[in-house]
Amino acid sequence: MSNKTAGINRHRSFSLARVFAITTNTLTELTRLKVFYILLIFALLLIGSSVFMARLTFQQEFQILKDVSLGAMSIFTSLLAIIATARLIPQDIEDRTVYTILAKPVPRFEYIVGKLTGVLLLLSISMLVMSAMFLAVLYLREQTVLHETLRQMSAAPREQIDDALRAIRSSALNIDILPGIVIIYLKACLLAALTLFVSTFATTNIFTIVVMVVIYFIGHLQATAREYWLQEHSTGWMTRAFLALVALIFPDLQTFNLVDDIVVGAAIPLGLVAKTVVLGVFYTTIYTFLAAFVFYGKEL
Amino acid sequence: MSDAAVTVSGLTKVFPVPFHREPVIAVRNLDLRIEPGEVYGLLGPNGSGKSTTLKIILGLVSPTRGRTEIFGRDSSLVESREAVGFLPENPYFYKYLTGEETLRFFGKLCGLSGSRLRERADQLLELVGLTNVRSRRLSTYSKGMLQRIGLAQALIHEPKLVVLDEPTAGVDPAGSCDIRNLIVDLKRRGITVLLSSHLLAQAQEICDHVGILANGVLVREGRLEELIAIENRTELVLENASDALVDRINALATSSNAKLIARRRSTTTLERLFLDATNNPKEKS
Repeated sequence: MSNKTAGINRHRSFSLARVFAITTNTLTELTRLKVFYILLIFALLLIGSSVFMARLTFQQEFQILKDVSLGAMSIFTSLLAIIATARLIPQDIEDRTVYTILAKPVPRFEYIVGKLTGVLLLLSISMLVMSAMFLAVLYLREQTVLHETLRQMSAAPREQIDDALRAIRSSALNIDILPGIVIIYLKACLLAALTLFVSTFATTNIFTIVVMVVIYFIGHLQATAREYWLQEHSTGWMTRAFLALVALIFPDLQTFNLVDDIVVGAAIPLGLVAKTVVLGVFYTTIYTFLAAFVFYGKEL
Repeated sequence: MSDAAVTVSGLTKVFPVPFHREPVIAVRNLDLRIEPGEVYGLLGPNGSGKSTTLKIILGLVSPTRGRTEIFGRDSSLVESREAVGFLPENPYFYKYLTGEETLRFFGKLCGLSGSRLRERADQLLELVGLTNVRSRRLSTYSKGMLQRIGLAQALIHEPKLVVLDEPTAGVDPAGSCDIRNLIVDLKRRGITVLLSSHLLAQAQEICDHVGILANGVLVREGRLEELIAIENRTELVLENASDALVDRINALATSSNAKLIARRRSTTTLERLFLDATNNPKEKS
């Protein structure tokens, strides 16, 4: 062995290779968790079983299918984001693996980003699996209903048949489902980043999970509370500053709930989708930086 | 003067204790200088501040006052860690990784990749005697094997300084002997070793310099042989000496105003006896 650190490139303040190494390792760690498979199987069963739920008309059937499936996807990814992220840093500190990693030339910011992107990859994989299951179920039901309708209306005029088929197609598989799925994913990303931030100063996993469950509920209710507050109080700068602070600590999760519109087959305006995506990315970025900031000053 | 491997100047670390008036002072005004190529033992009882000092040197904990440098670079800077390999006390690595995957993971963190990384992993698995178990998950490794894979990851990027926190704690005599031999080998290769320990017999065998910490204060420091030498005594070890010869030596000593203090048969160490009895097995399977 030479007396020099040979064969290694000069240190860079940010290295994608290092972040990628931490990301893939985090993904491997998370896929070893039994809770991941239990939650995934549970969500897939729920999506699959929505086929057998009571319905009167095909519109109702598709509505229930979308409602149950998107609801299951939303809850599952949110739960997974919180549970998977809450343990990452405390576990590394408890096992002292964090010492070995940070004693290497790895900036703390890269460690945080690597951990988070590992969770986001896991969420992407589970989202892809669930979306594939959901779209397959929806497609199969759509085909069955189309065949049944064709059989029942075999004697009807051509135009009437075309109208009926168009109505079925528009209420089943349509392009508006995709932004809905993207926004469910972004909500999970936001929750993962927020959980990571909380876990940088929490002392136990349970504390992080409890705090996140509280934030989850307040986040869904805060829009209503804010409207009520604004009705009762003046809209001075102090009120606005206070509300902005509340919105930072408790993100308005109701904004990410576009399922209701998708369920009824309503088209979601592109502007609203773009605004929600920007908000999701903004929150995720802010929480990642906050997590990195707290972790930077943490005594290990 | 060339850069020291480690320089610690005026280091103090105070841990605030919530709801208590008195904060804990882990390290008080510590000064150290470790020269390149030597094995330095930081000794002391539990809670004396050894691990805190090592963590500050590695940038894991920030000092309250003072400064630490590694080869002339401020150790709070991430770049300074390019020159350092660290083995924490009782390390737990990711249990789901194999020995080889562990080395590859840490190698990537140090900027290694491709064939260079593969070569380094192969060399180090060979060096620490874990080539045969490279594909086994760490969850199946014994404590001694974990310690050896820990040492291998510390060496993955060919550091000039290796910091070992209680490297033989909880390891059986055979594993402990392996680690000691590896440390001696590192010294032979010109690598500076800073280790903390409270196993004094082992430290005595391998350290060039020692510093003894008590309650966060460096109470003794210097070259080991100078610290433990007894000025006015000399030891003779004889083989095949008859009682008559020893009596004559004693008489000669007495006539020269010297005094024979002890006369006993040489013994082996309990560790050597244990290793010979158990045939010093290496955990290769």
